[in-house]
Amino acid sequence: MLARTVTHALVGIDPRRVEVEAHIQGGVPAFAIVGLADRACQEAKARVRSSVAAAELEWPGTRITINLAPASLRKEGSGFDLPIALAVLAASYQVPAQSLEGHAAFGELGLDGRLRPVPGALVAAEGARHAGLTHLVCAAESAPEVALAGVEPVGVRHLGEAVSYLRGEHEPPEPPPPDDDFAVLACVPDLADVRGQERARRALEIAATGGHNLLLAGPPGTGKTMLARRLPGLLPLLGDDAALEVTRIHSVCGTLPVGACLVRVPPFRAPHHSSSVAGLIGGGAGSLRPGEVSLAHRGVLFLDEFPEFQRPVLEALRQPLEDGVVSVARVAARAVFPARIQLVAAMNLCPCGARGDAAVHCACTPERIQRYREKLSRALLDRFDLALTVPRPRGHELAGPPGERSSVVRARVLAARARLRDGPPSRTPSGDELLERAAERLPLSGRGHARVARVAATIAALAGSDHVLPEHVAEALSYRLPKEHGE
Amino acid sequence: MSELAVAMFAASTDSHLLDEPRSARFERFRAELDERGVVAELERRGIRWVARGDHLFPARLRTIHDPPPGLFIRGTAALTVFDAPCVAVVGARACSAYGAAVAAELSRGLARAGVVVVSGLARGIDGAAHRGALETGRTVAVLGCGVDRDYPRAHRTLAASIAENGLIVSEYPPGVEPTPWRFPARNRIVAGLCDATVVVEARERSGALITADLALDEGREVLAVPGEITSLLSKGTNHLLRLGATPVTCLGDVLAVVGVEPSRPAATALEPRLEAVRAAVADGPAAADELVRKTGLSAGDIAAALAELELVGAVVQADGLYRVGMPMS
Repeated sequence: MLARTVTHALVGIDPRRVEVEAHIQGGVPAFAIVGLADRACQEAKARVRSSVAAAELEWPGTRITINLAPASLRKEGSGFDLPIALAVLAASYQVPAQSLEGHAAFGELGLDGRLRPVPGALVAAEGARHAGLTHLVCAAESAPEVALAGVEPVGVRHLGEAVSYLRGEHEPPEPPPPDDDFAVLACVPDLADVRGQERARRALEIAATGGHNLLLAGPPGTGKTMLARRLPGLLPLLGDDAALEVTRIHSVCGTLPVGACLVRVPPFRAPHHSSSVAGLIGGGAGSLRPGEVSLAHRGVLFLDEFPEFQRPVLEALRQPLEDGVVSVARVAARAVFPARIQLVAAMNLCPCGARGDAAVHCACTPERIQRYREKLSRALLDRFDLALTVPRPRGHELAGPPGERSSVVRARVLAARARLRDGPPSRTPSGDELLERAAERLPLSGRGHARVARVAATIAALAGSDHVLPEHVAEALSYRLPKEHGE
Repeated sequence: MSELAVAMFAASTDSHLLDEPRSARFERFRAELDERGVVAELERRGIRWVARGDHLFPARLRTIHDPPPGLFIRGTAALTVFDAPCVAVVGARACSAYGAAVAAELSRGLARAGVVVVSGLARGIDGAAHRGALETGRTVAVLGCGVDRDYPRAHRTLAASIAENGLIVSEYPPGVEPTPWRFPARNRIVAGLCDATVVVEARERSGALITADLALDEGREVLAVPGEITSLLSKGTNHLLRLGATPVTCLGDVLAVVGVEPSRPAATALEPRLEAVRAAVADGPAAADELVRKTGLSAGDIAAALAELELVGAVVQADGLYRVGMPMS
């Protein structure tokens, strides 16, 4: 007897329909999986067999062949366990074959028959919807994700539960209600924890308003990382489409927070400086996986010790910063991942880190400092609209009162963003005159000029002004890249 | 005497020569040297040669006790720049942000007043001095290698802009590589070209102190910028002060030594808003955050005020600390 179930394989962050065919024929007992299944997928045999026994169902004592079609697509991972089990059970008449119509299945089985969630449930569910299927049998933990895709989740905890549902004996439990977005937002660290640092806080507010990339330089321990971590809390929550895009990526990578379904808070990613190009941009052997830039899509990518990243990694960042997507090509596969990020980078002023700290003597030679700064190419530095030096705060500043809360700053950011969207502040002759004078005196490159103008517009919007006045231009000038960075 | 032959011979034998040596080897070298060809080749590469006997040779340099046989010169400026008052601004390569700011500010002011700023194109103070002077006037770089070498490499673009607006000079023919012993020799030319030498920052044993010694030997003025007594970078300069060097506390101190009237830029009174911030900076180097607390202004207003003050040169920023610009007098 031949039976068929439908599931979806992940190619990058896109689903591909895979039909799981189970054929039971007479002969010596055997169990074979064909159709380019990888190791994890081959091992499904052991898991499926034990689960069937654990669910007190019968394992057919004859020859069983599983075909994963299309046979040319490489299948990876353990999400095929459940569809394979259901196909075998349908082929051995233990589950009515017609009950599988309109259903997809996705999930990993334990030896005791328990169903485990697998990364990518959201994408599998979207695939099911595109394939015209209405239900997806999956682990109970994946049910909220599946519901997001507009497919009815059949969240079950055990293979036996799935079988009794298909036999019409039992309805699956309702998925738990999604989390409150604002409760999630409360988990983002608050800006009130940062004491002193008025200038850096102000720059963070401007960056949040205009979506500007921000470069923080200063000795270690001055709160650069602390500031960067608080940026997502100043940004607006993601809209429905954006949230779904972000959730999809995190679903595939298995980085969704437990219990969360739709990611509404802009993500924050801080990869270590030893990260590889593939780790940051995406890629990998076999099927392609999104990298950190995509995990930070519509959120903040924070790169601490910026010049310590390998040069090829830094240069590879330029394309996503420019285009908002990364396209990764390998011989076996290619994929396009969204990567619209706001970049915050932090660096020391010199390799030893003492420069800019009055309390310590810096022993770096000019050559070393030069080499350290030369690691950042002009083309890369051009992507930063805001640059500032964060000096070490004095002791009494740290003892001062807490700063403004994130919620207060966020309200200003949202108002200014609305203003920028509805009608950006217009330029004025006096503002332009100051900019031209600065361009001549400093001097400012063509790109530097454009950067200052951009930031000035953001500052004007924050000030609630309809015009870019000289004081807005002046403030924007104070966040330009310092000369030693090659301006 | 053929100065060009002496210069070329010294370079080819890695020796320090001022006059024709009495040796058969030199005679052979001179006989084989096609002087016209050499000069023509130099001209083709845009490099001038001025011999010690030439009336264009810098007069001050000719009077030192060991003047070079001649100078190889790259750059477009006329040699009459050496008739103007010249001041050497020299100091440590590994300088502090403060030292670099003072060197740049001082050189800017000197060049604006028509003084030619001479330095050695090294990293640190030298580079800052050249950059500052280029903004408002003329500057001369003296190299310890061929004028075509652009050493150090990091200053290649700086060298190009000096060549455009000022001069790059060396006693060594093009192609001569920089070697350690040539730098002290170079320093005697820096000191020799100038009426006065200003040492901005120097450690206890520093090339800048050699320049100062050479200047003293020739009876030229030596000035030093006072520094913190606890900083290693001030050891050399404070030592000079103890020995009787003139302290530099403002631009006027240097101008008075070379007898130049300061040409004040049309001093426009600052707006009260800016003046309040400038006054707060004048109390001592401060980060923007400290100024926020001192003045009670918002971070945004402080940032705007500081940027405007930077534009008019009233304050300078380095490594996140703001300080007031060089006092005029």
